[in-house]
Amino acid sequence: MEEINYEKKGIVFNMQRFSVRDGAGIRTVVFLKGCPLKCKWCSNPESQTLKPMLLYSVSTCIHCGRCIATCRQGALSPDNPTFVDRTKCIACGECTAVCPTGALTIKGKYMTVGEVIKELKKDESAYRRSNGGITISGGEGLTQHEFVTELLKACHAQGWTTAFETTGFAQPEIIEAVIPHVDQVLLDIKCIDADKHEKNCGVRNDLILQNARRISEISNTIVRVPVIPGFNYSEEDIRKIVEFTKTLHNVKAIHLLPYHALGSNKYALLGREYEMETLENMRKEEVADLEKIVLDAGFECKVGG
Amino acid sequence: MIAKGFSEPTERVKRLKKAIVDAIPYVEDDRAILVTESYKQTEGLSPVMRRAKAVEHIFNNLPVTIHDDELIVGAITKNLRSTELCPEFSFDWVEAEFDTMATRMADPFVIPKDTAARLHEVFKYWKGRTTSELAKSYMSKECVDAQDAHVFTVGNYFFGGIGHVCVDYGKVIKEGFVSIIKEAAEHLAMLKVDDPEYAKKSQFYQAVIISYNAAINFAHRYADKAREMAAMCPDPVRKAELLQIAANCDHVPQYPARNFYEACQAFWFLQAMIQIEANGHSISPGRFDTYMWDAYKVDKNISKEFAQELIDCIWIKLNDVNKTRDEVSAQAFAGYAVFQNLGVGGTDEEGLDMTNDISYMCIEAAAHVQLPAPSFSIRYHVNTPDEFLFRACELARLGLGYPAMYNDEAIVPAMMNRGIPLKDARSYCIIGCVEPQVPHKTDGWHDAAFFNVAKILEITMNAGMCDGKQLGPQTKPMVDWKSMDDFYEAYQTQMEYFVDLLAEADNAVDIAHRERAPLPFMSALVEDCMGRGKTVMEGGAIYNFTGPQAFGIIDTGDSVYAMQKHVFELKDVDIRDLKEALDHNFGYQPGTKEIATRQTRTDVNKLGCCGRGMPSPLQGAAQAQNKYAQGVSTAPGEDQIKDIVKRILVQNGSIDLGALTQQVNQSLSSSSVAACTTPLPSDANAKYLEIKRRMEDSECFGNDYDPVDMVARKCTQIYEKEVEKHMNPRGGQFQAGCYPVSANVLFGKDVAAIPDGRLATDPLADGVGPRQGHDVNGPTACFNSVGKLDHESASNGTLLNYKFLPSAVAGDDGLRNFASVVRGYFDKKGMHVQFNVIDKDTLLEAQKNPEAHKDLVVRVAGYSAQFTGLAKEVQDDIIGRTENDF
Repeated sequence: MEEINYEKKGIVFNMQRFSVRDGAGIRTVVFLKGCPLKCKWCSNPESQTLKPMLLYSVSTCIHCGRCIATCRQGALSPDNPTFVDRTKCIACGECTAVCPTGALTIKGKYMTVGEVIKELKKDESAYRRSNGGITISGGEGLTQHEFVTELLKACHAQGWTTAFETTGFAQPEIIEAVIPHVDQVLLDIKCIDADKHEKNCGVRNDLILQNARRISEISNTIVRVPVIPGFNYSEEDIRKIVEFTKTLHNVKAIHLLPYHALGSNKYALLGREYEMETLENMRKEEVADLEKIVLDAGFECKVGG
Repeated sequence: MIAKGFSEPTERVKRLKKAIVDAIPYVEDDRAILVTESYKQTEGLSPVMRRAKAVEHIFNNLPVTIHDDELIVGAITKNLRSTELCPEFSFDWVEAEFDTMATRMADPFVIPKDTAARLHEVFKYWKGRTTSELAKSYMSKECVDAQDAHVFTVGNYFFGGIGHVCVDYGKVIKEGFVSIIKEAAEHLAMLKVDDPEYAKKSQFYQAVIISYNAAINFAHRYADKAREMAAMCPDPVRKAELLQIAANCDHVPQYPARNFYEACQAFWFLQAMIQIEANGHSISPGRFDTYMWDAYKVDKNISKEFAQELIDCIWIKLNDVNKTRDEVSAQAFAGYAVFQNLGVGGTDEEGLDMTNDISYMCIEAAAHVQLPAPSFSIRYHVNTPDEFLFRACELARLGLGYPAMYNDEAIVPAMMNRGIPLKDARSYCIIGCVEPQVPHKTDGWHDAAFFNVAKILEITMNAGMCDGKQLGPQTKPMVDWKSMDDFYEAYQTQMEYFVDLLAEADNAVDIAHRERAPLPFMSALVEDCMGRGKTVMEGGAIYNFTGPQAFGIIDTGDSVYAMQKHVFELKDVDIRDLKEALDHNFGYQPGTKEIATRQTRTDVNKLGCCGRGMPSPLQGAAQAQNKYAQGVSTAPGEDQIKDIVKRILVQNGSIDLGALTQQVNQSLSSSSVAACTTPLPSDANAKYLEIKRRMEDSECFGNDYDPVDMVARKCTQIYEKEVEKHMNPRGGQFQAGCYPVSANVLFGKDVAAIPDGRLATDPLADGVGPRQGHDVNGPTACFNSVGKLDHESASNGTLLNYKFLPSAVAGDDGLRNFASVVRGYFDKKGMHVQFNVIDKDTLLEAQKNPEAHKDLVVRVAGYSAQFTGLAKEVQDDIIGRTENDF
């Protein structure tokens, strides 16, 4: 039997139950911190750094000042442009304990594999009944590949299916270590043009495209394309992705995820600017032409995951 | 595709529906006059014989009404959706509402002036002769005091008939009324004069023969009427229909039904007749797809389309039945609910799935008719076919609130735990709201009382005091509690005391019905009344229960846990401070969301006992007037207080309660608003707000968090275990239920502030579900929490309402997940669940008040939900979508 290190620690920022758009059936999504990409439409910006972060909601704050008195780093002040001085904040969480309204919260918690499994067990009966299971998301789970490997093994030891939402951006040996424990990979391919990719996602895509091939060889893979206005919302972009996907091993489905602005509020909570020009969520109909391209190429297509 | 969609109803069904929807409900006087005429002539006779004579007189003389388009006939009233009255149970509340019932807020009925005049005349006879007056005379002072204080109410059976029964529809369809008359005659012939109960039994059998003969005549009057109408009818199609109706009514329910159409007509006559004999609600058809299937499967001539139309017609007829209640009860049962529960699916007595064509046709009928009645249920068990569950979910997804879903895997053992053998338990049906019983073998007395567990909590925290007097036993004062054990000891003591009084009240009403209203017609179709020679009111049924239902259990659980956490574990709230804050409604003006500016203690002390809320037997129709709404209109708003608190805290950088209270006091007394009233220790209000905040910073039931879920379980179990210690006069046991109908809002007005931060008079939680908006981990977590309650001990039923966003259940994937959630909940031994799909109005309200709707689940691929501070346009967009767009 394979050894599983239940004591291995990782940094998790949410475990979301009854997730129904992240693989088959009803799933619990384990959202992990850390991502090498910096996509400007990212709907989980709180995931990007590989450490806990303080979120501050100005609309919830009553300006009572208790947190200011508590902070030993001197990171909180009305004089700071966004209240929190991120260069000083160490996300110790002491301010959140005194905040009377929950305006201050910490995103990101170090947890052992054992602790995560304990939480995941709560929905066992839903996984069983719906053919659901566990999905690792992020951030980019490959950033915490040792933890993820142990967690995936532990999920399999429980008899749960595993899915993995990934950018595919990691060293090939990491792919070789993690992907064999994944039943279904939901692999983001954002665009084929490397320069455009670098400009919008902060990294070039050669590694991603190279890994994509290997991932599809190891595990059941679905290609997912976030459709972003001003980036890849064009027939040409989608066509290229479709062509590329044809070269992968036995990929049967390409899912289109229309742009949504549900993460926009999080930027303010992090003291950041939301750089997308629009807050308008795309509608299903708006990707109908793109869906047709995918279908015509012989792939299954789901809009919205 | 799993989803099959629903077909359109026929034009006839659409017209019948429109007539029902357009109808204005009236109060009619025919039955009240007839029953009074009869009673005046039978003064010297035995109670059961008087009832037989009365029902005979009614069946022979109640107006016969056949409406346009009807294929199934038989009406309780002349006008659609109207009500007859039963003054033999109670009448004074109707008298009190002669002028106002047409305009009242909940469930209005028109009472024409001449109707009122005639009713006034017949009511005179009933003074001193009703069941309610007799029941009242049996109650002790303590029992009455507890009801006046709104700890519980037994108003349901106090004011009206018992109902809550599923009679033997199958027997009537298969054998006809002739077989019942024959059976009674045989018993009578066999009865030996030296039987010590000879007098009673012979009266009963004669009463059965009299009432069933009259019932046959009632059907024949419909046959005559149909022929008469046919003779006048110019339209040959309708003429033929009327002649067919006449032929049906000539034959059924007197004789066995010869085809499915006759079975439908026989079913409906019986359903109407039971509700003519008396006005008890929850007259439940029960397992319609068992007895109707027997008739359908042997009818080789009927088309499926026509059979569907007939079932649709029955659905319409069920919506024709209406009952009026006093103004306050009408609020508790708002929506003209009469709770005719009709169920499909489940197992037969062998434990085998019995789902059949009729089960699916009923689902189709519910989608065709889309009206409140019947209360439509499905039974679920581990071997329920996926196809059936998907179909039920597809219906639920329409957002009509039905079908309610019931779990055999929890209910069957719960019933067996009450001594019911496996075979009978497996054939259970649902009565009324959520109450399981063995059909046509049970007198379940299911809605025996509303029992306010949150009120018990309030009384416990006041050492037995309520409204300034010692209502319950004197238990250890809250401020002296040193541990949770002290709390539980006091809570247990109060619970024992008030449940004893509850049993006393129920049994008093029970005996009054036995003595004044033993109903022969209904009893003949409940086993083993015929064998025992007595009515169900006298203990004729095989299974006898009394089922009072609790509400406020989740509020109690959350409150007790918050107290445990902050007072005894974290010790960041002193119990004296908590008590003081509760006594002052956390500083809020009682009945408002305003912060009080002056001492409110006196007001708060009256809470729950001010003649508002529960219909108390002694008050009859209680006046709906909110005393708590009075108060200082110039109170500074919460924002103002917040500002003051804020300013002080910002200045000081930390919080010192002593200094804070002083400063708030100064700020307030220097402000013009506060100056106009008696100076209040407003400093105190800031302190109370801080205590409220801390208490609210506690985990809540509904999030799958064991420590709080287990407290809720324990608080509920204490109620359940106390209830089941009691026996009723029919030789049966009391059994607890946990469901509020819609009483949680109304009766919340009777409860003072409690430690979970809920303010005085605010609504209580609904059924066994979490407090509104307090479950934030999605449906699976909510269902796990609810599953941790001891449903099997609540064998009178539990109720969980759950709301889905349309997007969560859209498409085939959504349907699959929906069904999986149901199976998952039932794996956890949940007993009942019904679903609503959130409509646009709720979403708009959620947008205005997002904090109160944190339970709304939006799931998007790869997105970790975080709705705090979501931009309005993004929210608008979510609200605008009803489809699975994301």
